[in-house]
Amino acid sequence: MNLQVVGCSHHQSNVAIRERLSFTEQQVRPFLDLFYHQFPKSEAVLLSTCNRTEFYAAAENPELIPSKQEMIKFLAQQRGLSIADINADLFAHSNQKAIEHLFNVAASLDSMVVGEAQILSQVKKAYQIAIESNDSIPLTHQVFQSAIRVARRVSNETDIHANRVSVPSVAIGVLAKQIFERLDNKKILIVGAGEMAEETLKYVVTGGGKDIRITNRTESKARELAKQFNGRVCEWTNLKEELATADLVVSTTGATEPIVTSEMFDHVEKVREQKPILILDLAIPRDFAADIGERLNVYLYTLDDLQKECELNRESRESEYPKAAKIITQETNAFFADVRRRSSGSTIAQLRQQADKAKNVELDRLMNRIEGVSEKQKKEIEQSFNRLVNKILHPPLKSLRDDTSNGSGSLLDALKKLFQLGD
Amino acid sequence: MDWLYKISITCFAASYLVVFALEISRVFFDVALRKYVRVGFAAAGLVAHTVYLLWQGKLELDATGIWLSSWFGWCLAAAWVLAAAYLWISIRQAKSVIGLFLLPVIIVLIAVAVQFGPERSFSVGRAKTIWNMVHGSALLLGTAVVALGFVFGNVYLLQASRLKRKARSPKHFKLPSLEWLQKSCESSLIISTVLLAGGLVSGIALNLINQAHGNDGFARGTIAWSDPVVWSSGVLFFWLLASAIFNACYRPARHGRKVAYLVMASFLFLVLELGIVWWVGHAVSKSSDKTLTSVTFNDPESLLTEKRS
Repeated sequence: MNLQVVGCSHHQSNVAIRERLSFTEQQVRPFLDLFYHQFPKSEAVLLSTCNRTEFYAAAENPELIPSKQEMIKFLAQQRGLSIADINADLFAHSNQKAIEHLFNVAASLDSMVVGEAQILSQVKKAYQIAIESNDSIPLTHQVFQSAIRVARRVSNETDIHANRVSVPSVAIGVLAKQIFERLDNKKILIVGAGEMAEETLKYVVTGGGKDIRITNRTESKARELAKQFNGRVCEWTNLKEELATADLVVSTTGATEPIVTSEMFDHVEKVREQKPILILDLAIPRDFAADIGERLNVYLYTLDDLQKECELNRESRESEYPKAAKIITQETNAFFADVRRRSSGSTIAQLRQQADKAKNVELDRLMNRIEGVSEKQKKEIEQSFNRLVNKILHPPLKSLRDDTSNGSGSLLDALKKLFQLGD
Repeated sequence: MDWLYKISITCFAASYLVVFALEISRVFFDVALRKYVRVGFAAAGLVAHTVYLLWQGKLELDATGIWLSSWFGWCLAAAWVLAAAYLWISIRQAKSVIGLFLLPVIIVLIAVAVQFGPERSFSVGRAKTIWNMVHGSALLLGTAVVALGFVFGNVYLLQASRLKRKARSPKHFKLPSLEWLQKSCESSLIISTVLLAGGLVSGIALNLINQAHGNDGFARGTIAWSDPVVWSSGVLFFWLLASAIFNACYRPARHGRKVAYLVMASFLFLVLELGIVWWVGHAVSKSSDKTLTSVTFNDPESLLTEKRS
């Protein structure tokens, strides 16, 4: 098997390059169609996410796989760029390194946030599009199915995905769950309509939140967000009244002064009658006066508090990295040992066929020359030829098996050349 | 059925101790298989506990006409209710470590049962009426529910204090949500009030019936209205009733730590009440009664042995 990958990722390319090389889901299919037009005897997969664009090509025969330069040229052409524009920002791996890289990507060890779960579904999607583009891609099946299995193994055997690492996911997925049993019967108030509010709302909706109210100084932005998440817009001037009845408040405004002061919260507190409230103040500078958090049944968390949790979770994930990396190394070695075993199996079969063919020719010639040989004697001669062939082939085949199981594979090529065997 | 004889308190007490040890180990490290082992041991313990109680109950039924006619059986039955609650919670709230707080109560109840021993049975005369059955059962369940409420209250305060301090939850130390704990505290307060009301009313009815029977034998079970057990039971009931009314009418009491404080105070009242009951020997046979002397599980014949002191 021959596998090659070229691409860019957040490790070595800035966002401008990544944007120029990225493909939408709709653009991947025409890309692959064009590739098959140019390289009909190889297989290809294109993985494009916001953090990476990776172009994989595979072929059984090394002469049939496009070279690294050909792949870069093809990629550049599809994006309307010159090779010089992107060459310095691209990485390239082949064979074992390429497999190891794909396993790392699928298991989320190569992600910007190690352990994020989204990448595996993106790998699966890229594989799915590759299948739809070409129904005869045996090598791709072998490689990508292994990658998906390895990613699952890493997920099952390590805690690399265990802790959340983004502020909104920790706030809603961890913290809110420690206070509320469910979100579908809670009143959720979003103060501000920026990017952080949108990101947090995704988790609120995933967590079951239904009664969502959004308030913002600029009502049109709140309206947009409310439409997107099926929420309701509240007037900014009613903030106090909304706070008095909310269970969960997410505040993300860009205000330079606290929008909820201690005095303002006095009124809210009276109306609430000590009903628990979780306030996630994700704004910088803060939207809620700090002493509000000291009141009974008020759980006020700021961005700093949540970032500390995220940082600890990130460290906890990174501590799992060596365990996960060990699995990747094991699996990569096992994958190639398997590939070599299959490859040596076909070489051994060819070698045996070749020897049997020579043996049969010589045996026929001998039988035609000698006369008066009984059936029993014929059988003995044939068995003698068989033993001779087996004795000659046994040492090289044993050496070949040892060599492939040790992972070198150099003898296989030598044997193919020596006995003039095909791939 | 011979195997029934072989089940002893040690069987289920040891199971609960193993479960408790497994609960403690959850705080320090994570093992995937432990959840099944823990639930398995808890279920096995509960089965052994059930069989023991049924067999013990049968023996006492044969001898006295009612089940669990001793403090020994009563404590074991209360422990059984809590163990069943533990099993239910560990399936419903698999990730929470509430067992760390609940199992010690179960183990203490079993220890108290062993301390009493099966010899201290209730007086036969008091035990035989339906009113006594209702009285004993309601008090038993009420006690178990108050103890459960105490555990929920403690866990609530721990979780609330941790969240207020913004302390990080240890990796394997997950507690239920405040909302769940608050609802559980409220439910235990209401249920225990109803059960203890049932216990108190049936106790009063029992006493009135005994008084009405005069000198025909049943009167031996009559308790004076000034008896410390009667007024302490009354105080406990009125405390629970007041707490439940306070909880229902005063909105802030329904939220947060107030309900936790209420159930914890109820538990302290209950401990006080049980202490008085034990101290004055309420419901335990007096020297003039015909009582069971030695209700040992492995020696059912001894149940029928009567002592006249």
